[in-house]
Amino acid sequence: MQPGRRSLLRIIPFFVFVSFLIPAPAAAHAVLLESNPPAKGAVAGPDISIKLRFNVRIDASRSRLTLVRPDGSARPLVMGKPDSADTLSAQATSLPPGDYRLRWQVLASDGHITRGEIPFTVTQS
Amino acid sequence: MARLLQIFGFLSVLFRGATLTFQSLAVGGIVFLIFVLRRANEESEVVKQISLRWIRRSAIALATMQISYVVANSLILMQSAEISLREAAGANFVVAGAIGILSALAIVILTGAPRSQSHAALLLPAAAIIASSVMTSHAMARLEYRAPLVAFTVLHQAATATWLGGLPYLLIAIRRAQSPDFARQLSARFSQLALISVAVLACAGFVLGFAYVGSLKAVYGTSYGAMVATKALLFGLLLFLGALNFQLVRRGPSSSILVSLKRFGEAEIGIGITVILTAASLTSLPPAADLTRDRVTGTEIFKRMAPRQPRLSSPTMQELPEDIYAAQKRAFESGSLSTESYVPGQAGTRPNTPAEKAWSEYNHHWAGIVVLAIGLLALVAQAGHVSWARNWPLIFLGLALFLFLRSDPEVWPLGPNGFWVTFADPEVLLHRIFVLLVIGLAAFEWRVQTGRVSSAGVRLVFPLLIAVSGALLLTHSHSLGNIKEEVLAELSHIPLAILAVMAGWSRWLELRLPPENQTRSVMARLWPLCIVLIGAALLNYREM
Repeated sequence: MQPGRRSLLRIIPFFVFVSFLIPAPAAAHAVLLESNPPAKGAVAGPDISIKLRFNVRIDASRSRLTLVRPDGSARPLVMGKPDSADTLSAQATSLPPGDYRLRWQVLASDGHITRGEIPFTVTQS
Repeated sequence: MARLLQIFGFLSVLFRGATLTFQSLAVGGIVFLIFVLRRANEESEVVKQISLRWIRRSAIALATMQISYVVANSLILMQSAEISLREAAGANFVVAGAIGILSALAIVILTGAPRSQSHAALLLPAAAIIASSVMTSHAMARLEYRAPLVAFTVLHQAATATWLGGLPYLLIAIRRAQSPDFARQLSARFSQLALISVAVLACAGFVLGFAYVGSLKAVYGTSYGAMVATKALLFGLLLFLGALNFQLVRRGPSSSILVSLKRFGEAEIGIGITVILTAASLTSLPPAADLTRDRVTGTEIFKRMAPRQPRLSSPTMQELPEDIYAAQKRAFESGSLSTESYVPGQAGTRPNTPAEKAWSEYNHHWAGIVVLAIGLLALVAQAGHVSWARNWPLIFLGLALFLFLRSDPEVWPLGPNGFWVTFADPEVLLHRIFVLLVIGLAAFEWRVQTGRVSSAGVRLVFPLLIAVSGALLLTHSHSLGNIKEEVLAELSHIPLAILAVMAGWSRWLELRLPPENQTRSVMARLWPLCIVLIGAALLNYREM
């Protein structure tokens, strides 16, 4: 083999070897900055407005909100038109009092998926 | 699908790291071809053909990595958001990936065309590759100052590719140059290009750092800030090596100078890859400027890092949580986990119990004692007066056994979870890979130190493994939230990683530099000293 080829042949496996050993989690950086209802907070029912604000632009049409009821059953929420590129909003209606969880999944505009969960309580109005 | 989600973190970063690497090699090669080799003549023809071949191979690898990333990410998105292929295809990352793939394929076609004098046409797909990469960067996702941040990210990535991606081609050119004069001419041209690239890289990096980190307190108070500072420090190391190179080029065409130039170039490539990996790791973190709550303070860092007696007694297995996976699952189902954001496949986080922290501190402190002993014996062996001290690499075997047994007590052989869990939990897998690295390190370096091998390749295993370990530590898993405990742990790991990178590449230079190069003797003392410092830092590692 020609010496020039050998030199790169030595370098390439090293590049690949190192690349294959990267243990960081999936590249993702949309994080939840604030929410309504707030995490572990209480809101008056039975109808509530949901609004989540993230640190970056998100792809709302490819993001999802799911409400987990006190009995553990889950219901996807229909999302409304967001106020800005970094928010998700929805309405949840006819919620009896109890402990709920709002599960969210967003696709950031840079292609990375993040998830989270917001526990909250619905009280009687 | 659940398994795919579990390993998604691994797959996704794997593709991203490889993509960044091959992107730098392809773009850097094209810039080298056009701006360093310039017009074809008899002397440059051989180098040009080899460069074209490697640019083509890098582009093929880049296209393959991009396809893999787009397919894996699309599958995850379709499954988790329950959307169709058509809907997924409109996502920004798919569009960016398609641009990258098509550009890479264009490079494959253009570099395979019959011999031509000009390769300027390659600049267009090279620019498109950088654009596709920037489309999925932090800058594109920002709400404020998006346009200038995108512009600075373009400059940052293009300069990185020109400098670090061009370096391997310079090494080939020096090796294949038919005369020392031609090699020196190419080195001088590349040095000029590298100088400009470094200036652009530094300026753009400073602006981006300012925008994403925001304040000095965020540098040490967040994972993102600490990683940016690490990147800057490694960049400083690269500049130091670059300065040594620049000096060599100006001195004259002696053959030993060219050899030194190649050796420094090798170390630069290695540290450069570490910087690229640190950058890949940074993309997994939200910018520090976005995380203004729960930052670590200077007082908390001082309290954690203040020297204390090492912990030399371990909690018992009974004191540890019975099965951390089951505990994690229960906590998740009952909703008692933190409300931070996480990526699919992660199960959220659960604070470690005091017993778990004590277990980890005990592990680090004993490892510190072992590494300290290794470093001190290596220093003694380097002095050459005590012959048995050359057996110091064997101590690594004890370290490997210790790590294998104690690093993951919840998994086989000590814990209730079987061997195959190793491959489902990235952290356990990482620890097991480390054990294998340490065994390899012991085996190869003992044979080298005791004169059982003379092969130059085998002698390089030890520095490579040490340097790879450092790179691994720098890309250690991060939480998306600003969890104080994780930031503090990260701050403890960063000095270890930097010292490991320095130890690896200084040993490399000791072995590779020609005897008449005076830097060689400095390097011979530097790497054992770095190992001693790693041992000392491990001895002061704290989790509470």
